Amino acid sequence: MAWKAPERAGATVFVWANYSLVERNRRWQAVRERAAKAGLDCVFVPLGDGTDARYLTQLRCSSVVLPTDGRPPIVIADRGSRNEWVTEPWQTSREWTEPMAQALMEAGMERARIGVAGLKRGQVTHVSALDGAVNHTAFSEVRRRLPNATFEDATDIVGFVRHVKSREESECLRRGASMAEAAIETLAQLARPGLDAALLYARVIERLIVLGSEYYPLAITCDSIAAQRPMRYAHPPIGRRLGRDSLIQSEVGAIWGAELVEAVQPILLGRVPEEWRPVIELQREVFEEGLRWMRPGTTLGALIDRVNGFGAKRGMRTAISLKGCGYGDDGPILTPGSEAGAARSLTIDKGNVFVWRPLAASADGRMQFVWGGAVEVGDEGGRPLFERAHGMISVA
Amino acid sequence: MEAAADITWQGYSLAERDRRWRAVQDNGARAGFDCILVPHCVDGKNLHLSLEQARGTRSDSRYLTQMENGAVILPTDGRPPTVVNENGAGNSWLTEVRPAGDSWGKAMAGALIDARMERARIGVSGLRRGQVTHGRAIAGVINHSSYAEVLRRLPNAQFEDATDVVGYARYVKGDEEIACLRRGAAIAAAGIDEMIKVARPGVEEAILYAAVMRRMLELGSEYYPLALYTGPVGSNRLPRFEDGPVGRRLQPGHRIHNEVDAVWGGLVAQEQQGIILGPIPQEWKPVIELQRDLFYAGLEFMKPGLLLGELADFINGFGAKRGMRSLTLMHGRGCGDDGPLLTPQDRGERVRDVRLKKGNVFVWKPIAYSADGKIEYSWGGCVLVTEKGGEQLVRRTPGMVSITG
Repeated sequence: MAWKAPERAGATVFVWANYSLVERNRRWQAVRERAAKAGLDCVFVPLGDGTDARYLTQLRCSSVVLPTDGRPPIVIADRGSRNEWVTEPWQTSREWTEPMAQALMEAGMERARIGVAGLKRGQVTHVSALDGAVNHTAFSEVRRRLPNATFEDATDIVGFVRHVKSREESECLRRGASMAEAAIETLAQLARPGLDAALLYARVIERLIVLGSEYYPLAITCDSIAAQRPMRYAHPPIGRRLGRDSLIQSEVGAIWGAELVEAVQPILLGRVPEEWRPVIELQREVFEEGLRWMRPGTTLGALIDRVNGFGAKRGMRTAISLKGCGYGDDGPILTPGSEAGAARSLTIDKGNVFVWRPLAASADGRMQFVWGGAVEVGDEGGRPLFERAHGMISVA
Repeated sequence: MEAAADITWQGYSLAERDRRWRAVQDNGARAGFDCILVPHCVDGKNLHLSLEQARGTRSDSRYLTQMENGAVILPTDGRPPTVVNENGAGNSWLTEVRPAGDSWGKAMAGALIDARMERARIGVSGLRRGQVTHGRAIAGVINHSSYAEVLRRLPNAQFEDATDVVGYARYVKGDEEIACLRRGAAIAAAGIDEMIKVARPGVEEAILYAAVMRRMLELGSEYYPLALYTGPVGSNRLPRFEDGPVGRRLQPGHRIHNEVDAVWGGLVAQEQQGIILGPIPQEWKPVIELQRDLFYAGLEFMKPGLLLGELADFINGFGAKRGMRSLTLMHGRGCGDDGPLLTPQDRGERVRDVRLKKGNVFVWKPIAYSADGKIEYSWGGCVLVTEKGGEQLVRRTPGMVSITG
């Protein structure tokens, strides 16, 4: 090893790292195979692309050089961190550029074709990162140090491996989903007119932490059901108390095994108005139909068209709302009104896990209802990873 | 402390916005730049060098815009900035914002060209670590693909690091910022009170963690992970957790160390308090006493004009007089990853010539060690530099809390 570890480093931070070595090897092998098929000599996960690095190492912060010829990766980590997957990473402190360049050279990549994860937005990961997630100064210096190597985007190489979940990942997602359900129970138990909205927010986060979830921002609204554009809070709401007809639209995220799942549940303080019932019923139907349509091999374009056209038969409106679950910024993200573009041609695979939360709305768009949670794609379509009853929760 | 629901503060004023913009413009003009560019930066979850990155990577843009993710082009000739964000949505500080569209790089380059910067000298904040901001990010915080696109589209402009141009504006807090940090420090102190209330042998550490976070959130803090260290009092290095620890319970004789941060007005305050589940061991008492004296001596010494090197030498030599050891541990407080950074890891050689200024806010938590280095104790919180020295933003007394009940 050319790199010399620094004398001083910060305190080791412990993160969940309980996937098996079988799972590690599955991930490494799947990435290698895809990269080799694309003609790459290695996959490089540089400083900045923390989610892909965590996927490949289970470390809090790392950089990875994974040769496609079957050799194990060189992993750079900080703060003295190591785990069962990566027993001897190259240790660094705050300096990342030099060890990354040395790792590529030690792996013999001076004249190689190097695939860089996180360089650009991917089709199924880093989907909201228009220009990827790579640190400029460090990456530019690495390129300068390896002038004869070629560097290409390989976000989708890692991305499409992340996109299909293994049995171990599926179990973690299921557990995460149960945490999100528990948090929704807490919301429903506490929500009352007059309650400080920040206190409600705090109690839900407390519940998730007690259950073992890593932090993910809770998003809630708390305006009147009559509000057309309710304010969405991703931090504790300041200066707000729940009203007598508050509609709490909640997006509750939970993370277990580094995998993020979300649950969506509207809670109304008061009785559900009669005029809302057909909209809620329509949403139930499109949710369930969508599960049946969500079979392996179906294109997202076909799913979008069927969902978006479903409501018209009832004189109402429906729209797709779906996003991938995983290590973070997973895709595809399909939202009502957005153009799916290239995502239309993507096919659904067995082992995909999505947050499935289609929208139903009255014809005039005044009433909009979204409900859902994590679903896993099997041979017969989507299967919810949760057991919550459909509908608007009414706290009368 | 008033409940979050009863708070009427509506955010920073336009005067505070103008103060920040002008300070950056003045620093930028003095350095000979035509404009300051705060480019699109990597998000803190992905560039997770430390807890500070969660809010630190995009801190310059937040400082200038109050937006979570934006790019800023601020000409130094007094023109207002052009701002690019994800969707073009404005706020009370900026009503006109450009959407990034399908490329941050293209949008930033377009804004620079519209500001007539094709052949300009452009100062770029976040390219490298600075003296008083981005101290943990040696390679800076900028997103590669978008910035490379800017360089490609403006081949005749000159781009140079200007991290310190924005950094030194952030370094001195305005009155509104000090008020926010004061409330943040009070929230963090309430989090510590909750920790003392809940911490008992047998308690699940995740429950302790959750209770502290709940207390701070209900007082209106944004979520900023508690850093929790727990283990037997005799252990020199305790494991550090930044999420609720899973499968661990507090035990008799355990020591709890922490960094309790609260975010108010977008600024990160921090308080720290050692706790022991049992009586304080005799051999710890002189170390704790030394730490208390270090803390107060440092406050007295911390006057505007002092060089950080002078402060570090004073503190680092303080313990020897008692046959023990001491080390400076401090860093700035603000939008995230604030410096200057003096820690056991970063001894401050880079920032010895940085002067303290009135209006600086630091987390001040010097470390005292026994002579053999086996016992180490740090206690502290936010302090404001005033003409009379350092002033605690929330009144607390140095020491270790012993829970024996």
